[in-house]
Amino acid sequence: MNRKTIATVGAAAAASLALTACGGGDASSGSEEPDGPVTISLAGWDFASTPEFETLATAYEEQNEDVTVELTEYPAGEEYDTALTADLAAGTAPDVFIVKNLKNYVTFQEGGTLLDISDVAAELDPATGGLEAMAVDGATYAVPYRQDSWLLYYNKALFDQAGVDHPDGSWTWDDYADAAAELTDGIGEDDVTGAYLHSWQSTVQGFALAQTEGATLDSGDFGFLAPYYERQLAMQDEGSQPTYATVTTNELAYQSQFGTQKSAMVTMGSWYIGTLVAEQASGDADEFEWGLAPAPQFDESTTGTDNTPVTFGDPTTMGINAGIDDAKVATAKDFLKFAAGPEGAAALAEIGITPALIDDTVADTVFALDGVPQDDLSRFAYTTHETLPENPVGADTAAIQTILGDLHSAVMSESDPVDDAIADAQERAANEVG
Amino acid sequence: MATPVVDNPGALGLPYSDPPQRRAPRTSLKLRNALVGWTFVLPNFAGFAVLTLIPVLLLFYYSLTNWNIFGNADWVGLDNYARLIGDKSFHVALGNTFYYAAFHIPLTIAASLGLALLLNQKLRGAAFFRTVAFFPYVTSIVAVAVVWNMLFSPEYGPINQFIGLFVGGELPGWTVSKDWAMPAVIIVGTWRYMGYYMLLFLAGLQTVPAELHEAARIDGASVWQRFWNVTLPCLRPTMFFVTVMVTIESFKVFDLILVMTEGGPGQATLVLSQYIWQKGFEQFELGYASSVAVVLFLICIGVTVVQFLYNKRRDA
Repeated sequence: MNRKTIATVGAAAAASLALTACGGGDASSGSEEPDGPVTISLAGWDFASTPEFETLATAYEEQNEDVTVELTEYPAGEEYDTALTADLAAGTAPDVFIVKNLKNYVTFQEGGTLLDISDVAAELDPATGGLEAMAVDGATYAVPYRQDSWLLYYNKALFDQAGVDHPDGSWTWDDYADAAAELTDGIGEDDVTGAYLHSWQSTVQGFALAQTEGATLDSGDFGFLAPYYERQLAMQDEGSQPTYATVTTNELAYQSQFGTQKSAMVTMGSWYIGTLVAEQASGDADEFEWGLAPAPQFDESTTGTDNTPVTFGDPTTMGINAGIDDAKVATAKDFLKFAAGPEGAAALAEIGITPALIDDTVADTVFALDGVPQDDLSRFAYTTHETLPENPVGADTAAIQTILGDLHSAVMSESDPVDDAIADAQERAANEVG
Repeated sequence: MATPVVDNPGALGLPYSDPPQRRAPRTSLKLRNALVGWTFVLPNFAGFAVLTLIPVLLLFYYSLTNWNIFGNADWVGLDNYARLIGDKSFHVALGNTFYYAAFHIPLTIAASLGLALLLNQKLRGAAFFRTVAFFPYVTSIVAVAVVWNMLFSPEYGPINQFIGLFVGGELPGWTVSKDWAMPAVIIVGTWRYMGYYMLLFLAGLQTVPAELHEAARIDGASVWQRFWNVTLPCLRPTMFFVTVMVTIESFKVFDLILVMTEGGPGQATLVLSQYIWQKGFEQFELGYASSVAVVLFLICIGVTVVQFLYNKRRDA
């Protein structure tokens, strides 16, 4: 079946090359303001549960009466990239689209599907999270409108029950592991653990890559992962978090683990703030007091509230289809400037989404939402951090992440010792990449 | 063959009832039948050509390029195939594909034949059990994976709790163990497909003449002897068909592994079809993925041809 799918997509793409070829070259030159009404289309996913696209479109339309932003729905998850890629290859993709997974950004850019929008990037606030990382050979092809960062979520009630001090922003990963063990003992209930580690590779690798000095993916040296994995394995061995085996075979969800008080702590992206608030309101999650803290750090050099904690998170970015009609380019660029700028940020904050540009207005809006913790550390954690990408822009990122994904499942399932798995991944990277 | 066409037989002075007079309309009837036949076949064939034949031909072409979906499909000759030779992940996927097939094919045939023999008896509720056996085949693969993953859970799963009653020591880690993930997938694969092949065998069993069994019984043949010497030879056409189908199905296994283990832990259950997906749709190396697909295609064709030749030799 795959064989057929590949070839079918191939046929479609081949047939449409002629159609798309003309769009790529000189579209960026069209920058005059259009006279009449303009309609631009925007690709997003799963509108029922992802309101951010409609929020941005509506907010922009309110300011620009002549413009209609038409939404085109794609499937959610990994399917988004596959479906959008097929449409891009066929020349039928919308004018503006979300570059959802940073690891595929280079593929889109090298494939000539993205318009050079360096002029838009130059006008954005340099503090916009993830903006710098989008530069490829001095040019920018997509701008971040949303930037989630990974934080520590903790259940204040369970901490108090176990008699463990709340996080104070000074935690290294060792402090986190100690707290998890103390919590597990202190709570003393069979099915409640101090921490929860979700099955994704990023829960370990994202922090390791961001917090280790000099660590890169394309160096082919993955030794920096070792201390992170050893700590997580020790934690699952001593029972202070559910094992990877339990998480995967029982399909545990981080929302229910933390939301129904089965785990006292979880590290997760900032998108979970909105989800948790909504789930507590709807009754899907228990009512309990929770707080945010900075992600635990590699060592003490970045801990404390007088420091900037280092964490990770990929920006979600927006680019312009290189095949766009010349007459629409100016409008599309203006829309991007809006979405990635302070006005878009304010609109997103109102629905609990973390925009790429976090200013005081955004923080005030988010912390004014009902159910969001009001303590100082939560606000500090949300507003102050250096967020490094989980998928640094690079031609080989997608291939390396596949290899590291295999490493993650081999190590966390305790099928392979950490060092063997790292050696194997390094050998594969040398063999398969570049 | 030249057939005399007689437009007006009467003009030749031939009586109307003569054969040549009939032969003429028969030829045009044949042509008309053929045309009608082709017309009926055409939609199906057009579908086959557009959705299967042309894509397969394109597949061969793309396997000789470095196509990455967005345009530039430069001709690279046999480079992709040369790369396959040194690609360790490809070797792993190839090995795992044969590992799966080597156990899935005989197990599925044995299980489905056994089920068919059992449910071919005139038992009360046989129809119900046939439905039960067929059910996994029509159940959503995601639901199947979720339930089986829970059953296989090394710590809390009922399977290990059951095994633990009889044997001590370390129990299998199943889907989260490098050594046990493939056996787990094979068990589920066999369970899922045996009901479908059971139906084929049940149909085949209806063609076994009752009088042969009767005669064998009178001659004093045991149940086993009757199965071996009467049932099995009569089932040969069905057995051949099932073997070919189950072989192709097992080499193409994809969804089951994707939802159960995603090829892991590590690369323990990575199979060719999944490797094609990974290279093609996760890393957008469609040229290279095409070359892997060509290999899978050739394996399927090769194994099928061997089976046909073997079957033909036995027929002869």
